[in-house]
Amino acid sequence: MEQSLDQAAGFPPSVADSGSFFGVPWWLALLGLILLMWMAREPLRRVVWQVFFITGRVFGRWGLWLSEHGRNARASCNEKIASHRADELQDRMLVLENRMGKRAEKLAKETGPVIARLDKSTHQLSTAASDLTDINLEDAAERAFRAALPSMESGRGLNKLEKNIAQSTARAMNDRLVPVRPALSTIKTEAPRLREVAEKLTKTEQEFNQSVDEVNKTFQEFEMIMRSDDRTKIAARASIVIPWLIAVIITAIALSGVFLNFFLIERPMSEIVGEGARIAGVGLPTFAAIIVIFLEFVAGVVLMDAAGFTRLIPAFHAMSDGARRTMFFVAFGFLSLFSILEMTLSIVREQIIEQQQETRDLANRALIAPSLTPAPEPAAPETATAEPEAAAPEENRGLQLSTIAQLILAGIIPWLLAAAALPLETIVRSSVFMLSIVGSFLMLALAFICKTLSVGFKNVGLFALSVYDAIIFAPLWIERRVKGAVRNRGGGGDASSGDVDDPMVLDRRSPTPPPTEPRRNREKSREPELQKA
Amino acid sequence: MMRKAFVGFGMALALAALTGCGLVSSTNRSVFFVFDVSGTYVKAVPDAAKLANITIADMQPGDWVGASQISACSFSEKEIILQRQLPTTPSLAATAKRELFDDFNTYAGQVKSAKYTDIRGALAQAAFELKQRPEASRYIVLFSDMIDDYGKSCDTSNIKLDLRDIHVVAANVIKTNPGDPEKYFDVLRKWEAQVVAAGGTWSLVSSPDQLPKLVNGV
Repeated sequence: MEQSLDQAAGFPPSVADSGSFFGVPWWLALLGLILLMWMAREPLRRVVWQVFFITGRVFGRWGLWLSEHGRNARASCNEKIASHRADELQDRMLVLENRMGKRAEKLAKETGPVIARLDKSTHQLSTAASDLTDINLEDAAERAFRAALPSMESGRGLNKLEKNIAQSTARAMNDRLVPVRPALSTIKTEAPRLREVAEKLTKTEQEFNQSVDEVNKTFQEFEMIMRSDDRTKIAARASIVIPWLIAVIITAIALSGVFLNFFLIERPMSEIVGEGARIAGVGLPTFAAIIVIFLEFVAGVVLMDAAGFTRLIPAFHAMSDGARRTMFFVAFGFLSLFSILEMTLSIVREQIIEQQQETRDLANRALIAPSLTPAPEPAAPETATAEPEAAAPEENRGLQLSTIAQLILAGIIPWLLAAAALPLETIVRSSVFMLSIVGSFLMLALAFICKTLSVGFKNVGLFALSVYDAIIFAPLWIERRVKGAVRNRGGGGDASSGDVDDPMVLDRRSPTPPPTEPRRNREKSREPELQKA
Repeated sequence: MMRKAFVGFGMALALAALTGCGLVSSTNRSVFFVFDVSGTYVKAVPDAAKLANITIADMQPGDWVGASQISACSFSEKEIILQRQLPTTPSLAATAKRELFDDFNTYAGQVKSAKYTDIRGALAQAAFELKQRPEASRYIVLFSDMIDDYGKSCDTSNIKLDLRDIHVVAANVIKTNPGDPEKYFDVLRKWEAQVVAAGGTWSLVSSPDQLPKLVNGV
């Protein structure tokens, strides 16, 4: 029962049970196998070496290559981003410079009258001020008092005297203040004007300062990009993903407009190109509608480039202003034509739908009718037709409104498509950088995988060799003992000299390890060998 | 108008170029209506014409329409009522469809009964006409009670039918004997077997809205 259980479990019968392997006892067969493995040690070790170590080395080299190229790609991408950012800043500086130049031209016109007014106000104020300083009120009062003295002598009462003094003083003061009044009114008028002029000048100064600050900031960043050695830092400062995402969202919205446009013009296109054919599985009207939309988009791109909003077409950079203006008007004309075409198609669409509906209704009505040529009924049709007639104007009005809505939509959409060229530029430019970044990271990730595989292969090889040696440890031990005895008898040499050349010894380390080169030098020194290989 | 002409010319050129490359294919279909005018079915012909009309109403511009009748000796050009291809533009196609409605209505109004019912000959004639059409999808729509009756002078009961690449649709199949449903189903089974044996495919349409869907795929 026990034996049958062992056999059922797959265990070999023990030696004591005197089992056999093709007639040979188990212990003898095992011994033979170990001896065979000891004999085949060297060739098998070479095979293992070849399989694991060479494969590991290949992966290691791939890893090195990928890592180097990934780093180079990243550096190149950083450089491109930095130069793109520098280009952007240069453009911005040019724009700011242009704006400041124009502002400076306008400034003479703006400040000329302001300064003239300021001069005039200052002059008037100084005149008024000198007039005011000329007034001597004490003297005037004294003179008035003196003038009143003769009347005091002839006066009878104190009251009259007081009255005389007051009147004389008032008259004298009044005489003195008469020339001062215009000066006071001048001050009253000119003071707010002066404040206004001062505010305007302050605002102009602020604007100028702001522009100067912007130019300075842009220039500083530009300088930093041009001079800095840390290209990664520079590239990290220039945001690529956010403008790309915004552009993608805007383009997606524009694409939804394209779909809307497509459904508007697909059906009526059959009136122009006909139906029934398919091009690469796409219906001919559908194909024609797609072509029209593409043409509209191209016209839009040309328009935006000619207007200077985008820089998608390199040929426009080399063009003169006049040629670019011509292209602008040509593109504008084409877009206008497309707009008119779409509006016409929207009307045709409505007509086609109406005709098809009427044809279907005709067939369906005949199906429902009791006979193909129904006899006219005397009374009922009058009431029956009265309702549709009343409903017809309402229906027509609704139809007209929907047609007008379609017309407006058809007229607008080509222009909206043209506007989609704006985010397209950002998408095109940023996508190049993003693909480059993703590519470099992909290469670095692959390099990591290759290096890991390399280490894995080498260590698996080592493990396999160790297991092999562990199985045949007994014959190995005997072999070493025998070799040691022979060497001792020969009186010679280093006991370990026989093993130094043995390629099968993996972890033997010499007591005085050779001086190791720095890792970088080692990698460099390997390169010529690789090149030779 | 000039613009239309230019666009049309450009499209025609592009079409010619693409046809050379084998990228252009046709979506058009050809449909052949066959009306049974035997004594047992002639009263149902107006209804059948209405069904034909609603089928035509949903057909695409560029499709082809033919019609013939089942009489004593149906394998003949004389039995063909009309043959017409719809224009490729939707507006002209709509006008053509209305003209076809009128043609069918006129035919249904003045149809005369025949003594015999040569269904097999009519199928052979319809198949012969359809084979000459370039359209890939071909349909024969049979309006009949499917009970054949061959005369001695024109017995086509043993002629060989070739209905490969043709879809045969039996529509408005009236029940001549309501007391014997078994016979009705037997007749239908027999015709289905004959059509399939001739290489065609078979469908039976019982309600009016199924026919346009089956033929036009609408």
